[in-house]
Amino acid sequence: MSSETPIDPIRFEVIRNALVEATEEMASALRRSAYSTNIKTRHDFSCAIFDRKMRIVAQSFSQPNHLGSLMETIPRALEAYGLENLSEGDGILVNLPYTGGVHLNDITLISPVYLDSTPVGFVASLAHHVDVGGGAPASIGAFREVYQEGIIIPPVKFVSGGDFNRDVFDLVLAQVRAKRETAGDFRAQIAANNTGIRRFKALIGKMGADVVAQYIDELIEYTDRRTKSELAKLPKGVFMAEGVMDSDGYTDEPVKLVVKLTIDDEGLLFDFNGSDEQRSAPVNSTYAQTHSGVAFVLKCMIDPDVPVNSGFYRNVHMVAPAGTVVNCTAPAPVVGGWETQLRLTEVMLKALADAIPEKVPAGTEGMICHSGFGGFDPYRNETYCFLETIAGGFGARATSDGPDAVQPHGKNTANAPIEETELNYPVRITRYELVENSEGPGQYRGGLGLRRDYLFPDHQASFTILADRERWGPHGLFGGHSGEPAHYVLNPDSSATQLPSKVTVQLSENDVVSYRTCGGGGYGPPEQRDPEDVLRDVRDKRVSPSRARDIYRVAINTETWTVDDDATATLRSAVSGQRESAP
Amino acid sequence: MNEQYRLGIDIGGTFTDGILLNETTGEIRTGKVPSTPADPSDGFLHVLRRMLDDGQAEPDAVKYVVHGTTVATNAIIEGNLAKTAFITTEGFRDLLEIQTGIRPTLYDLQFQKLKPLVPRYLCFGVPERLDYRGEVLVSLDEDAVQSVVRDLREEGVESIAVCLLHSYINPEHERRIGEIIATELPSALCSLSSEVAPEFREYFRASTTVINAAIRPVVSNYLGNIQARVRRSGVGGEMLVMQSNGGVLTFEAAMDRPVFMVESGPAAGVIAASQLGETLGHENVISFDMGGTTAKVGLIENGSPRVTKDYEVGGTAATTEHGSRGSGYPIRTPVIDLVEIGAGGGSIAWIDSGGILRVGPRSAGADPGPVCYGQGGTEPTITDANLVLGRISPDYFLGGEMRLDVDAARRAINERCAGPLGMDADEVALGIVEIANSAMVGALRRVSVQRGYDPREFVLVAFGGAGPVHANRLAAELEMPTVLVPMSPGTTSAMGLLVTDIKHDYSVALIQRADQIDIGVANTQFQRMRSEGRMALSREGVADEDTRFIKQADMRYVGQSYELTVPLQEEDLDAAALDEILAQFHQEHERSYGFKAEEEPVEFVALRLSAVGVIPKPQLPKVSPGDHTTTNAIKKTRPVYFAETDGRVDCPIYNRYKLGSGDDITGPAIIEEVDSTTVIHPGYRAAVDEFGNLFLTRI
Repeated sequence: MSSETPIDPIRFEVIRNALVEATEEMASALRRSAYSTNIKTRHDFSCAIFDRKMRIVAQSFSQPNHLGSLMETIPRALEAYGLENLSEGDGILVNLPYTGGVHLNDITLISPVYLDSTPVGFVASLAHHVDVGGGAPASIGAFREVYQEGIIIPPVKFVSGGDFNRDVFDLVLAQVRAKRETAGDFRAQIAANNTGIRRFKALIGKMGADVVAQYIDELIEYTDRRTKSELAKLPKGVFMAEGVMDSDGYTDEPVKLVVKLTIDDEGLLFDFNGSDEQRSAPVNSTYAQTHSGVAFVLKCMIDPDVPVNSGFYRNVHMVAPAGTVVNCTAPAPVVGGWETQLRLTEVMLKALADAIPEKVPAGTEGMICHSGFGGFDPYRNETYCFLETIAGGFGARATSDGPDAVQPHGKNTANAPIEETELNYPVRITRYELVENSEGPGQYRGGLGLRRDYLFPDHQASFTILADRERWGPHGLFGGHSGEPAHYVLNPDSSATQLPSKVTVQLSENDVVSYRTCGGGGYGPPEQRDPEDVLRDVRDKRVSPSRARDIYRVAINTETWTVDDDATATLRSAVSGQRESAP
Repeated sequence: MNEQYRLGIDIGGTFTDGILLNETTGEIRTGKVPSTPADPSDGFLHVLRRMLDDGQAEPDAVKYVVHGTTVATNAIIEGNLAKTAFITTEGFRDLLEIQTGIRPTLYDLQFQKLKPLVPRYLCFGVPERLDYRGEVLVSLDEDAVQSVVRDLREEGVESIAVCLLHSYINPEHERRIGEIIATELPSALCSLSSEVAPEFREYFRASTTVINAAIRPVVSNYLGNIQARVRRSGVGGEMLVMQSNGGVLTFEAAMDRPVFMVESGPAAGVIAASQLGETLGHENVISFDMGGTTAKVGLIENGSPRVTKDYEVGGTAATTEHGSRGSGYPIRTPVIDLVEIGAGGGSIAWIDSGGILRVGPRSAGADPGPVCYGQGGTEPTITDANLVLGRISPDYFLGGEMRLDVDAARRAINERCAGPLGMDADEVALGIVEIANSAMVGALRRVSVQRGYDPREFVLVAFGGAGPVHANRLAAELEMPTVLVPMSPGTTSAMGLLVTDIKHDYSVALIQRADQIDIGVANTQFQRMRSEGRMALSREGVADEDTRFIKQADMRYVGQSYELTVPLQEEDLDAAALDEILAQFHQEHERSYGFKAEEEPVEFVALRLSAVGVIPKPQLPKVSPGDHTTTNAIKKTRPVYFAETDGRVDCPIYNRYKLGSGDDITGPAIIEEVDSTTVIHPGYRAAVDEFGNLFLTRI
């Protein structure tokens, strides 16, 4: 900062901390008072504060994916509704996908903050509601147009005088299956926004609206400066990558994603020209979803200490042609947009691997991997819905293995505890463990995938898989192999029917649906892996002795749990073949 | 005269502190020796002997020895763990590997997952299964258990953790596995999740049980060794250890459940503040303990410190604030709810790449320490800033044992911060203090506002070497009306060891809707826990008249996952009491989350009972009345920089030991004592009470 500026660096730091604390307080209020497992336990929500110019200034520590969409949604929704139509205590609700929104389950509540009848800022909370109506429980499924996916909410006044607007509330609630949970979750969003309003007002009351506005301007400039100086360190050039998803959920035709990354003095530009046209199937990412993915990748490239606000987002540059799977238009289905967006994140990272190989992991799970189900709960005599996302293997890095079973990149939701799930829903989890031998072998290996089996006693549930990766596992890098693909299996211990990655099935009593997610890709040739690491993997049954011998070319004595050095040397002196990486 | 003593010994990373109370006279002595990490019992015995000699106390006159220790935490952080195995329900052996799925850092592509404390090859699933009501779906396959135990014997496993699905509601299968282990592998210690932490959500219960199992041999050896040496020294009094919940346990009980003592150290400070508040008639207190590397804040409501079960140990930030963010191993035993932040005297000030002044979280620690210590530190710290501002004395640090170098501190601030910012050193020193204060205000907000408490209804009790330097400003910021600075703030935390009660916590899962609850069953459960507690206390020699029972229930709206703990009356429950409890729940929900939903059904989740053996509290020694002029107590004046005065003002420096009860000092003023300095800002005053405590209030 130059010495001419009137900004006091101390007050700056104080205001910046206060804004972040306020969003954390909002998140805490939301999480602790929510009803659905997806929000209260899995943390599938985010909170943020906007200034009077509708620029995002602070956000809670939660789902990276949401934040890039909040900054798109808020100004557009406010503009559409008209600020002049709002007053103190109001809140507007919105989930419109194509104008800054994402999929329908992610519903945003926006509340203006007033000081002496003048709007001085806005607070917003976005939560993934477990059900918004539509063609299948949890509102996920392979639909052909957005109208089948659930209730579409344009910006409407949902809260007046700090409480529900009864008419709208009842209308929305009438469309959804899990009414009790949804009502509780909406109350939690109001609690979060009320908390944010109180805190933002207190800050302004203490410092003065003009002073806070001035410091927010500076905070945004400061963030922009730091982001630019960090990005300037990246090597210049043009980098390309492509990737495909298995299917669109309606046809088996793979969905192609193309990234052309240009790094020059202006920063980074991600151009997605060449990606497939949008489909009449649930794999379309909205502009805001794609924008979130680019923002995530950029954020990973800079000092984690740089704040995330409008000054950071200013540096997010992308070309996403309208009408494609990376920027769909009405009435394209959007429920699986996050699947596409997460895969696009992988393709962007793959392009960056050529620029900064030491910083980029091999392919990760690269999918949200939704599991959604519902039906009539025979024990509680009510309709229920449940949604969760399943972890998978993370990609290996230049100096370390990929962690096993994690929720990568833009998703950071927690696993639903089995005991809590069984207590609240008529389902039994019968297996929850790592998938052995699923890693992408490499000098550093990918993480293992995860298996989770669901059994439905005493009722006939409807089950939707909205995922990917059953045809191609995550890519390896620099001689590392790709990870094993995912599998979705009906009744694994009897008929063992393979299910596609995007499907809704009507189950019979006691049917079992089994998820086995993919392993992460490997980094570097597996025959260069330290034999002691291979020994540890074999001992821990992550990797079988035959896999160790055939792929890693390490001979393990399973009696003494030692590496047979001579046999290993012989194995490794032979020329090893390499498998093809995933496209 | 037949005098009796109570001895507290706290082993920290650098020093082992002792505190001796003469119960007959109320006299308190403190002492400090270097810690001896190679064998901590050396330092323990060293300080024990010194305290007894100084107090001229006979070893057999010591009634209690209370020990605060970080041995459990250190064992986890340093990986000094037993060879431990994990047994669970078939199909779930990877619970410890899978964890919560949450990443501690969002944008770090190089992140590492928490390393499980048990390697995968020592994790086993055995066939058995309960449903969510605890009913048996699959019986326990005892042959499979036998076969696992045989493997464990071959592997030379020392300690075993058992956590089966839904065992919190039906412990039968776990108990049977425990019996088989006891028969087949008696050399191994066995920890059952249904005994260690009967709480639902399997990963958290498993993690708690595994930690208990993994640290048990280390902690048992440690406590056993100390106990033996203390006995040999002739001290025969009860040996107690501080728990994370703020109560104490006997050494024997702690050897079985070491996971209850992971936060043994910090709890003592909160207990001390709570006790002090109670003695002085302040039931609502926020404790603020600021030392060399961190500041710790806790909240005490109606005389009871807030306790949480949402805790992680061994993570990057050991704080209850970030809940399950996945950087540490979760534990679900009661822990005093503390927010700890990296702001202590040694926290370093720096300029970030965007040209902004920042403070912490990096600390210069004790070595090299702040620049002004002259021990090689080159980066300016909070202590350096306070010194430059004139708030602490260069020649009365630790009572004058160490001279502080003001010029070096100023030079460092100039070179590292003021120069690059184009500001002068005084302004930047003030900025460093204010930024640290804003972080501490954040911590105070987190324990109060964020949990639904209004800080204006609380007294701020400030202690630790640096606490009283900053407290006035923090209270002003949060409009807290009163700051209480006890005598000798550097030893307040140790005092906590001497005033804490014996405490056993019991809980039982009871998931039932409030409108369907079987009151008889609830009462039976309470009676069972009560007699268990009474037995434990009487084994520890607590008389019936010193026994108290605290009953609580965890409740929530049906469908929620986070419970609120509601206090219950001591008598048996009946329908009227139930209505009262419900009303209290709604009220508590509104306070915590800003709304209540009286039309929504409420359910019980768990019943809790604490059996407390009350230990008589020491009398605080009184000070003589002052002469109301306070001029005798002024050592000198010194120019001190305050924001309120826009620069330096000549400020009287008081000797705390010369202040008497009834004395009243108007700020700006500085009050010095050997182990701390109290700063009184302009617009505030400090009144001295009969025990020598300072009460800071706005004029």
